Amino acid sequence: MKKKALTSMLVLAMAATTLGSVAHAEELVDGKFAETKHITVEIYDRGNDGGTDPTNNMYTDYIKQGMLEQYNVEVEFVAVPRWTEVDQINNLLAAGDAPDICLTYDYPTILQYANMGGVLDLSSYVEDYKDQLPNLWAWLGDANINYDKDPVEGTLWAIEGKRANIRRINTFVRQDWLDALGLETPTTLEEFEAVLVAFKDNAEALLGDDADKMVPFSTSYDIGWRAANLIESFLDANMTDKEFYVNGFDDRKFTENGTKEAIRVLNKWYNDGLIWKDFPLYGSGDTTEDDMIKSGYVGAFIHTWDYPYQPGVAITTTLHEIVGENADYVAIDCFKNNADKYAKYSYSSAGDRKIFFPTTNDEPLASLLYLDWISDPAHIEYLQLGDEGVTHTKLEDGSYAVMAAEAPAIMNSGQNIDMTITCNGLHLSDDEITVKSMANNYAGSDPEIVICAMTACLNDSIMQKAVNVGAIEAEAGVGNALSEKRDIVFDKAVVASVEEFDSVWDAGMEDYLNAGGQDIMDERLAKWEATFGDADMLP
Amino acid sequence: MEKKKNRSFIYLKKYWQLYLLLLLPMVYLLVFKYSPMSYILIAFKEYKLNMSVFEMPWAAQNGMKYFIKAFKNRDFIVALRNTISLNLLDLIAGFPAPIIFALILNEIPFKKFKKTVQTVAYMPHFLSWVIISGLCLQLFAPSSGLVNMVINNLGFDSVPFLNSPNHWVATYILTGVWQSFGWGSIIYLAAIAGISPELYEAASVDGAGRFKKMWHITLPGIRPTIVVLLIMNLGNILGSGFDRPFAMQNPLVMEVAEVLSTFVYKNGIKGLQFSLTTAVGLFQSVVCLFFLLLSNWLSRRLGERGIW
Repeated sequence: MKKKALTSMLVLAMAATTLGSVAHAEELVDGKFAETKHITVEIYDRGNDGGTDPTNNMYTDYIKQGMLEQYNVEVEFVAVPRWTEVDQINNLLAAGDAPDICLTYDYPTILQYANMGGVLDLSSYVEDYKDQLPNLWAWLGDANINYDKDPVEGTLWAIEGKRANIRRINTFVRQDWLDALGLETPTTLEEFEAVLVAFKDNAEALLGDDADKMVPFSTSYDIGWRAANLIESFLDANMTDKEFYVNGFDDRKFTENGTKEAIRVLNKWYNDGLIWKDFPLYGSGDTTEDDMIKSGYVGAFIHTWDYPYQPGVAITTTLHEIVGENADYVAIDCFKNNADKYAKYSYSSAGDRKIFFPTTNDEPLASLLYLDWISDPAHIEYLQLGDEGVTHTKLEDGSYAVMAAEAPAIMNSGQNIDMTITCNGLHLSDDEITVKSMANNYAGSDPEIVICAMTACLNDSIMQKAVNVGAIEAEAGVGNALSEKRDIVFDKAVVASVEEFDSVWDAGMEDYLNAGGQDIMDERLAKWEATFGDADMLP
Repeated sequence: MEKKKNRSFIYLKKYWQLYLLLLLPMVYLLVFKYSPMSYILIAFKEYKLNMSVFEMPWAAQNGMKYFIKAFKNRDFIVALRNTISLNLLDLIAGFPAPIIFALILNEIPFKKFKKTVQTVAYMPHFLSWVIISGLCLQLFAPSSGLVNMVINNLGFDSVPFLNSPNHWVATYILTGVWQSFGWGSIIYLAAIAGISPELYEAASVDGAGRFKKMWHITLPGIRPTIVVLLIMNLGNILGSGFDRPFAMQNPLVMEVAEVLSTFVYKNGIKGLQFSLTTAVGLFQSVVCLFFLLLSNWLSRRLGERGIW
């Protein structure tokens, strides 16, 4: 009897799933599903100190409740470690357990999943359900939704989230050290180098007993990011769109003309003892370097535009505790290109996180409605600000200031960007208030210093243009191996002796090109020419 | 015929519990070790996420596409070379160490001292490689490592233990020896304990000294153990653990530090080239098997027992 009951239950369950998949083009009743749907959503787990459970906190509750009330959709969050997200998603996809809504920063990875038959083609869904997705279309627009649409096949594997904030990288220097040594803020490469030398020569005066720990310029194994302002200032100001695109696979500008000369400067600094000696030994996510910066041993570094002010990293606050209230990193502009501009690349408003649905997603409509809900300006505003008096206060000029939040209200990522997956960066209903509020957004940092960083990284900045000539097949599967090779070449070239620099760089570049770099550039060139003909610039 | 059937029936009736017990590990092996092997097929196929391994289309070049691709890949050749040379060095430096240690330990008359040394020597075996590599960074980093700080204070330049390829190989091999020699000596100590004391007494009567006894009694006594372990080590010449090289490597020494397991991780798991890396793994296993058979055959030719 028991057995019979079990069998019939299994049969029923099977029938239910079959019916469920057949009833694909299900309509909403008054904008709501008749029966409760269930979707899973990827969320980054940053594992930060004192954070909350990324899958279950005040803000996830807000989303869950909102989705249930508005669409009768149950939302479940699936935590994926931020720093190993690609590995983790690989495993989940291969096991068929990937969340219904996945995101990653790396489009070639998605393309690879798609080639393996693991990704849902969204092209028909976004068009068919356009009327149900007003917020998504209003916020992302055609530019971001169809950014990755294949011009030939018409397939759409991912939707691009939008950057509300396109600021990218800044150069920082210890203002209190400049003041202590009576130095002017450097405005050219030569002056910057002189400042580094002065830091090194005056280590005793600046650090006392810790003089041997002095690091005038700090960097990490990821030279391409951590020297980006320097590298980008060495690129030709008149580079054509075509040349930029052909070299564009590597976002660290590895193969561009000029990069080698920028690294030569670093190589000289390294051999002059201006750079942290141990930088290549510590991998991604290691906090050794951050700890050095926080302890006040580091004079200057290049990093994400707000890195020293980010509350999660806590450089400024720790520095204030250990060294003193006047110890601050200030953003400066000192690397000029051949057109006498402080050229640096900003992000483009697309090209941020890419959202895709794996083929195991049985609820594309519910998932798209989730994206729509999360793109609603009011919802973005709440997720980014939280509650007044708990996570922020409203100032007299109408802007918002972040407060140090207590346990359930703590945001695991700045402005909850991990939750507002279609929107990266503060985006309030009012643009002016957004800018003012951003400066207030760094608890423990002086808003004026933050505004200085906000201006510096947009000064003479260049926005990368979107080029879509179809998928580049040579890029599939080699991204990780190539970026690792690039880092190796950067690192080895920086630590080489001055005489060996050229041979180390050239050998490394040859290896990189042979390992697939050249194939990518050739295919990009061919596809550019097939699409734009002889043109050197985008139309 | 009838009699034979009867005999095996009686046999089974007598020992069925043992066979029942054996069933469990056999099911385990079948489910977790043998049935996943069907996925070896993806080395010859185009991998698809949403298909079973039998439905995936065959790869080009008669299914050999990924083997050809691997052998055309310079990184694979480098990883292959590094795997073999690091394992050989490991064998040369790491294989005699526990034997020598066991011999020395066996000669120590003070029981308490012997036990203490033994225990201390076992300890590193229980540290994970992630921790050991962290220790190495703390000790050997060029500017902040303890050892290099001492060297600097004595007026010498930092030794690039971790950041120059040759030094790195030495650091890698020696930390490996340090981590495993104590643990590896257990099996030899057990073998030594099994040698009959009468042999030593007889040798003493004949006037043999300590070294003579070591050479003519202890070593021959543990020779079968040595041979079996050597065979197993040779069988693993192309195999490599993942955690040790992965935790120890850094961008400056990749040309000597990249081994097959980290190559597979980087290209297969991170780069999603499952077919390519399964091909590499299959190649690795086949070569290991070949070495195992070869060394076993050799040892039998040389008059030892081999492992089967």
